[in-house]
Amino acid sequence: MSFVIRMALREVRASWQRLLFFFVCIAVGVASIVAIRSVIQSVRAGLTAQAQEMTGGDIALRSNNAFTPRTLDMIERERSAGRIATVSNGVEIATMVRPDVTRPLTKMVELRAVDESYPLYGTLTLREGTYSYATLRGRGAIVRPELLAQLGLRVGDRIFIGSQSFEIRGVIASEPGRNLGAFTLGPRVIVDRADLADTGLLSFGTRALHLMLLRVPQQATLSVSQTLTDAFRNDFVRVVGYWQNADRTAESLTRAENYLSLVGLVVLILGGIGVSSVTRVFVQQKIRSIAILKCLGSSSGQVIAVYLTQVLLLGVAGSILGVALAAGIIAALPLIVGDIASMLHVEYGLTGPAVVQGLAIGLLVSMLFSIVPLLEVRRVKPSLLLRQDIPPLPQFDWLKWFVTAAVATALVAVASWQAGSVRVGLLLSAGFVGVAFVLQLAGIALVRAVQPLRYSRSFALRQAVLHVARPGNQTRVILLAVGLGCFFILGVRTLQANLLRDFEVQVGDDAPDMFLIDIQPDQRDRLARLVDDQNGAEGTPSLIPVLRARVTGVKGREVNLESFEQVRGRGSLSREYTITYRPNLQANERVLDGKWWPASPTTGDAAEVSIEESLRQRFEIQIGDEMTFDVLGRAIRARVTSVREVNWRDFRSGGFMFVFRPGIFDGAPHTYIASLKAPRDADVRARLQGAIVAQFPNVSVIDLREVLDTIQGIVNNVTLGVSVVGGLVLLSGVLILVGAVSMTKFRRVYEAAILKTLGASSRLIATMLLLEYGVLGAIAGTVGSLGAIALSWAVARYALDLTWEPAPSITVTGVVATAILVAAIGVLASLDVLRHKPLATLRAE
Amino acid sequence: MIELRGVSKTVQSGDHPLTILHPLDFSISSGQFVAIVGPSGSGKSTLLGLLAGLDAPTTGQILIDGTDITRLTEDALAKLRGEKIGFVFQFFHLVPSLTAFENILVPMEIAGRRDAVSRARQLLDEVGLSARGHHYPSQLSGGEQQRVAIARALANNPPIILADEPTGNLDSVTGRHVLDLLLEVHRTRRTTLVLVTHDHELAALADVRLVLRDGRPVETPAEAVR
Repeated sequence: MSFVIRMALREVRASWQRLLFFFVCIAVGVASIVAIRSVIQSVRAGLTAQAQEMTGGDIALRSNNAFTPRTLDMIERERSAGRIATVSNGVEIATMVRPDVTRPLTKMVELRAVDESYPLYGTLTLREGTYSYATLRGRGAIVRPELLAQLGLRVGDRIFIGSQSFEIRGVIASEPGRNLGAFTLGPRVIVDRADLADTGLLSFGTRALHLMLLRVPQQATLSVSQTLTDAFRNDFVRVVGYWQNADRTAESLTRAENYLSLVGLVVLILGGIGVSSVTRVFVQQKIRSIAILKCLGSSSGQVIAVYLTQVLLLGVAGSILGVALAAGIIAALPLIVGDIASMLHVEYGLTGPAVVQGLAIGLLVSMLFSIVPLLEVRRVKPSLLLRQDIPPLPQFDWLKWFVTAAVATALVAVASWQAGSVRVGLLLSAGFVGVAFVLQLAGIALVRAVQPLRYSRSFALRQAVLHVARPGNQTRVILLAVGLGCFFILGVRTLQANLLRDFEVQVGDDAPDMFLIDIQPDQRDRLARLVDDQNGAEGTPSLIPVLRARVTGVKGREVNLESFEQVRGRGSLSREYTITYRPNLQANERVLDGKWWPASPTTGDAAEVSIEESLRQRFEIQIGDEMTFDVLGRAIRARVTSVREVNWRDFRSGGFMFVFRPGIFDGAPHTYIASLKAPRDADVRARLQGAIVAQFPNVSVIDLREVLDTIQGIVNNVTLGVSVVGGLVLLSGVLILVGAVSMTKFRRVYEAAILKTLGASSRLIATMLLLEYGVLGAIAGTVGSLGAIALSWAVARYALDLTWEPAPSITVTGVVATAILVAAIGVLASLDVLRHKPLATLRAE
Repeated sequence: MIELRGVSKTVQSGDHPLTILHPLDFSISSGQFVAIVGPSGSGKSTLLGLLAGLDAPTTGQILIDGTDITRLTEDALAKLRGEKIGFVFQFFHLVPSLTAFENILVPMEIAGRRDAVSRARQLLDEVGLSARGHHYPSQLSGGEQQRVAIARALANNPPIILADEPTGNLDSVTGRHVLDLLLEVHRTRRTTLVLVTHDHELAALADVRLVLRDGRPVETPAEAVR
């Protein structure tokens, strides 16, 4: 055994430089896995520990309507029985805020109204001073710093919320439970719940979330939660225990962790493919040494053990380097993405399990990928030291195939382990094999396609093309690794271009770009006049009546849901829908099935409803089915008379899942929404918004241009994220390229020496190298960009439902940049070839 | 004692079988110095390779100390070589990634000897290269490399030394030194020495001469020179 280890150490000493790049590849993969897992594991541990803060209490009750007396009674009974210790009532509303001065500035905020017992868990910290309920009392407000910056305000200034003025008394540094960088409609503003009624924001129809947060004695949490869940089963009240929140958070973070680390695994597998190809070349180069060892008495097993140990040593070194890299990345994280630790109230750093996993995977991948090429050691006959053997006829090597199958199975197992799911592991493996196969085929086709150039007049070009097609030139591995990196980056860039173009089209010149919501019936005409005055040239806004409703039952041919509880079992069917009524179809709608009603209003009880096609697909609701709705506590029965297709991207006329025939809601209270085309000029827009909010404080203004900016930001972030992945893959491609060049360099040096003695200048040899790697890079770039076009087309067409357009500038830039990159790196890595003096080289042979 | 019974070797050359060594019966007693002589392509190296178990004969048996090595597996053969046979090649065949000292260590490490390091030092000294142990083969001259190879062949104190034209790649003076070294080893350690050579003068020094031509012996193997 000591022979194996000593010999392996000596081999490492002799060849680590040649093998280095492949193990840097392993390091990059391990680093991504360890960094991703460590951060997410830390965050998960931190957030799970703060589950009560996240929930706001031991148990949270949430409702879109004010709690009914029945609910309140029930809570009161539990409290008297001592099963609930403290109740904290609150309301959350997205609303508009404007400074208490005549400036045309408004901002949508997420308002939270709280009572004395808030917060039940965690601490609300202010930038200066400490928070107490007294801060809010008597029309005080505390706000996030973004709001101050956006409206140009300071502590002590006043803001209008609804129809009331509030004094800003503090700046929120951190708020318990609000810590994941989730999507928000605007900065947080906290006021006293007692002041909320006067603002007029709770007027009918406003979208408010009513919250009741409970502190419950430890031993009663489960039973109280159960009692409340049972009691409110048919009400529109959601009961959530902190442990459920914790479970959900932990579950989704675990899923995120597993999926994101697959990125690292892909990089690692590429590194592994590099390891496999380098091992094959390595064994070829070591054939004589292997024969000598066998001649000196060592068995094939011992020799395989020597080289496997060498791979393992380098794999360990690569993995440790990866862990060190991960530690560096984590330390640098605050510089890149800001201070997550204080944003999430969690500490993060390398975690033990992540490090162990990273090391294990780095080692496993190195070993699995090198074992099959190392089996070639068995075929090396010591007799080749006496004379060049005539190679034996190739025989079917059962052991090799068996080991290959075992390695493939092990790799699928590793992928499944990393993904935390056998299905995903299998999918990833199949996807990888599929993509690799297609890239290989495309590579082979392109290598063939450039072969006519071998008859070119240019000597350098002829040689370059010959070299690309030469066996053992690592062409396949380089094509795979570089092509895959290119594929990722170009694919996501093309997709981004398509997505952004689509958004641009949506906010075209004639489309509405501002929405007003929560317009009360008595404000309708005045608001229309105001907008008309301010926005003269752009025409009258269209006002659409809306109500909110829930489906409480379906009696139909294929579904029969008798209670809300059963509807809830159907997932999103139980959510609150915004509904409307009108006599006619809109321009963005088409009846697929059934008949649209006549223009006259409905009479009697025979209500009619038209559903959007996805409801039929998902919930099997059919024409003729009778649906029951709860609209503001009133049960409405309606027969489904048509199924509509809605072009959601044309939102000029809005889009509704349920449209009713007019008549049934006459007299029922409802609100309006309006869409309008506001002026392009930012100041004029701001003035218009300011005027609307000043006169109609309860009306919320959604500026689509701002939303578009947000979406653009998200798309950019996602693109950046995927580009980082592609960058990592490309990096490993480059490493593999450098490694392949240095592995095969000895042959190059020899050939160059012969060419030099035959009269070739260094310049000619440099041109040959440049052309060779340029051709290789161009092929890799083309393979990658073809894949990227296919990928972006498929995603645009099938997942995002966009019309796809090619982005020729991205494709061309991608191919050219890849060719230049590969050519430059190939030549740089081969500088030795140019420097060697021919005589010394030929003598050494 | 090495015994060959009807040993032959035939290989496939293109479409035709080519017999490199015709059936041969021959025996070498312990401590003998045997020279195998003949022109290029006469089958000398093939025969030596067969004796070392580096290759398998097409027919016949090779017995070393009564063990038929043609029945041994690759790994058992490797073990046998490690214990009983030291090999010296025309082209030295040192492992290029190891120093001279390490090259001598390897066979002892494979055999698991505890005194490997001290013995390697001693052997290096015996071949007169104590000062060059840390050099790599590429930093040594041909004669030095061959001396290292001889030291390596002696490492496990094998009873048999097989040498395949050990001076063929050296100038005559260096070659003489190397040969003297081999003969001295044979004399002092009483090892069986089987030497393949073109050199009839050298062959004349052997106890027994086996002359091959086109894979067949041309003189009686028993002919004693001395």
